[in-house]
Amino acid sequence: MNATWYSILSFMLIVYVVLDGRNFGAGMLHWLVARTPAERRQVIAAIGPLWTWHEVWLVGFGGTMFAVFPKLLASAFAGYYLALFLILWCLILRGISLEVGGQINDRMWQGFWDFVFVVASTLLAVLFGAAAGNMARGVPLASDGTFSMAFFTDFTPRGYVGLLDWYSVSIALFAAVALAAHGATYLTLKTEGAVHDRSAGYARVLWATAAPLLLVISVESSVVRSDLLGHAIKNPYWWLGLLLDGAAAITLISGLVTRREMRALIGSSLLLAGLPATGAAAIFPVVLHSTLAPENSLTVYDVAAAPNSLTYAAIWWPIGFALSAAYCVFVSRQYAGKVSVKRDNQGFY
Amino acid sequence: MNSISDAAFWSRIQFAFTITYHYLFPQLTMGLAWFIVYWKWRALRTSDEKYNQAARFWAKIFGLNFAVGVVTGIPMEFQFGTNWAGFSKYAGGVIGQTLAMEGMFAFFLESAFIGAFIYGEKRLGPRYHFLAALAVALGSWSSGYFIIVTNAFMQHPVGYRIDADGSLGIDSLSAYLLNQWAWIQFTHNQMAALVTGSFVVAAVGAFYALRGLHLEQARLYLRAGTVMGLTASLLVAFPTGDQQAKMVGIHQPVTLAAMEGRFVGGPMAGVALIGQPNVAARRLDNPIEVPGALSFLAYGHFGSYVHGLDEYPEESWPDNIELLYYSFHLMITLGTIFIVLMFGAVIQILRGRLESSRWLLWVLMLAFPFLYIANTLGWMTAELGRQPWLIYGLFRTSDGYSKVVSSGDTVFTLIGFVGLYFVLGVLFLFMVGREISHGPGDPETGGHSEEPSV
Repeated sequence: MNATWYSILSFMLIVYVVLDGRNFGAGMLHWLVARTPAERRQVIAAIGPLWTWHEVWLVGFGGTMFAVFPKLLASAFAGYYLALFLILWCLILRGISLEVGGQINDRMWQGFWDFVFVVASTLLAVLFGAAAGNMARGVPLASDGTFSMAFFTDFTPRGYVGLLDWYSVSIALFAAVALAAHGATYLTLKTEGAVHDRSAGYARVLWATAAPLLLVISVESSVVRSDLLGHAIKNPYWWLGLLLDGAAAITLISGLVTRREMRALIGSSLLLAGLPATGAAAIFPVVLHSTLAPENSLTVYDVAAAPNSLTYAAIWWPIGFALSAAYCVFVSRQYAGKVSVKRDNQGFY
Repeated sequence: MNSISDAAFWSRIQFAFTITYHYLFPQLTMGLAWFIVYWKWRALRTSDEKYNQAARFWAKIFGLNFAVGVVTGIPMEFQFGTNWAGFSKYAGGVIGQTLAMEGMFAFFLESAFIGAFIYGEKRLGPRYHFLAALAVALGSWSSGYFIIVTNAFMQHPVGYRIDADGSLGIDSLSAYLLNQWAWIQFTHNQMAALVTGSFVVAAVGAFYALRGLHLEQARLYLRAGTVMGLTASLLVAFPTGDQQAKMVGIHQPVTLAAMEGRFVGGPMAGVALIGQPNVAARRLDNPIEVPGALSFLAYGHFGSYVHGLDEYPEESWPDNIELLYYSFHLMITLGTIFIVLMFGAVIQILRGRLESSRWLLWVLMLAFPFLYIANTLGWMTAELGRQPWLIYGLFRTSDGYSKVVSSGDTVFTLIGFVGLYFVLGVLFLFMVGREISHGPGDPETGGHSEEPSV
């Protein structure tokens, strides 16, 4: 049961990364792929009416974690205190910029909210990347299962680490590049005209940059967590994850080379799902690794609620998930097709 | 615990500030949603364009309100972990269930349809657009229910068991979800949200009527707002508010004593109309009381014995009796005024004279801020009354905060929230003011132009 819930939580977070990741990517590239005010509204329109639904995956992830792994929520959220609030503030600003930016047809108004959108999206990609780096590297977990962490200490990933060190910063950099590439791949599919052409160009350049960065962070990971590889190869799901990464990369590359936009987006989405899935399989069953002493690390068995709570949650969760997927399919079908610059994109739909 | 450099103090202030600010928005969302559903439905049935116009106008205000509600709501869930880790660790096995269900059942429903509802009228067509409005309304009310079940557990814990490691787990999910306290609190709270919606709708109607603008729409808003306003404000008081107070009397007698400023127990307990609690002297200063009224309201007989604070150890008293007392009394006073005001307005409507009663229109136009105040006071009564417990009788507030988070961190984030929310508030008022000054049915609706039909 604990392993199942670990998989479900990983799944929810991955869905969030894939869906909202493309919105972060579109946000980071907003000024680069869209030059005129009309093109900027086109990008926002391409993000579409479901962006709040994308964001709810993060909220649903947090809520579900609260229900099944309350001690993980207690330890991690209190420990990541400042970083989490920065993420929350950026989410607030990103949401507001999307909602009010299109409401007044004025260059100054829209320019201001476009700026907020770009900055918040970029910070979110970087912060989520740094968070992933912290999950992999570990946190200074004490024997009572709590930790508190500064933003940075001495920038080394050992002992009393801070949120940012050379390892988590490089993961953050990779995340920003990969999410930007994902956003460009999505915009290529969802737009036409000049935005489409520029996005297609950026998608190729950014994915070409992301590939060597992925190699670098893989090597870094094997240095920072030298214990991880030996542990991971014993987990069949880790191998499955690697297989998924490989298949995704091939799909992505063939989609980019042959200019098949849907195939490229499927490849890009699978890759952004596969990488965290591989990571999640590698660290299992540890959910919070201690950089101070391995015996302080928390596993899915330490942090879970009582079996009864897990059983109850297993009854209602699938119902909620099925309903949610149905809503998404219904609304997406109403909004299928490319977004053009000519169509009026005020208020973004 | 109330020392001003204490981490627990700042975590309480931050939660109180962010939840109070947040709840200014959902109360209008939940109230307004059914007005829009009603107008959409009337438009479908009668094909009268004025109903569509009303629905479209209020959907814009609803959208702005909803957006601020969403972005200020996300920090609430996260604060359970960041600032209240002790509480989350202890009770997550129970309250996590409803917070997760809120995400899975309410937020997914609302978020999938909100965009399509606000901007997609042409794309969806009248029937689907009506369904989208209904989906958003149902989503917002179910979200309210899950949150109130969570709060009801903190007020009156049921359906739980204490597990081997000392933390709480679910014993019966149905007992937890169908907590009697939750049902009463939910109906009381939802009626209060409908009153907020009614007063806001009526205020805009009054504003247009006074200026002689959009008169057909103004009439629609005044009629719907006052009829719903009278119905809902009566239901807030009776039976829901009455039942709520009785439940407090049964399960939290010390809270009821503090709410009423009743320091000494006895029969024939009165309700204080005026009076200032003097906690140090253990008495109500300058009291004017209705004798026997509290005994009757709480237990059904004028002679009933009502407990006083003197019967309970001081460490079980709510830790801010003064604020609790005023919150409760001002809420009741305002609630009574709302009933009288709406009663007067409905009488004038029946006589066909509301639109010419300028003084009444002025009062209706200016009254709506007091709805937000009354709703906030109601929640302050519930939450201050629950102290010093985080979960009544089980877990103290002083054990619930995150021990690893320093006051410095919490003060920093609190300052951030105050600044950010101030900006959000100004922005919101500006945007809503703009929509109201454009008015309904105005083709020049600024940025809101619909896409050309395909």
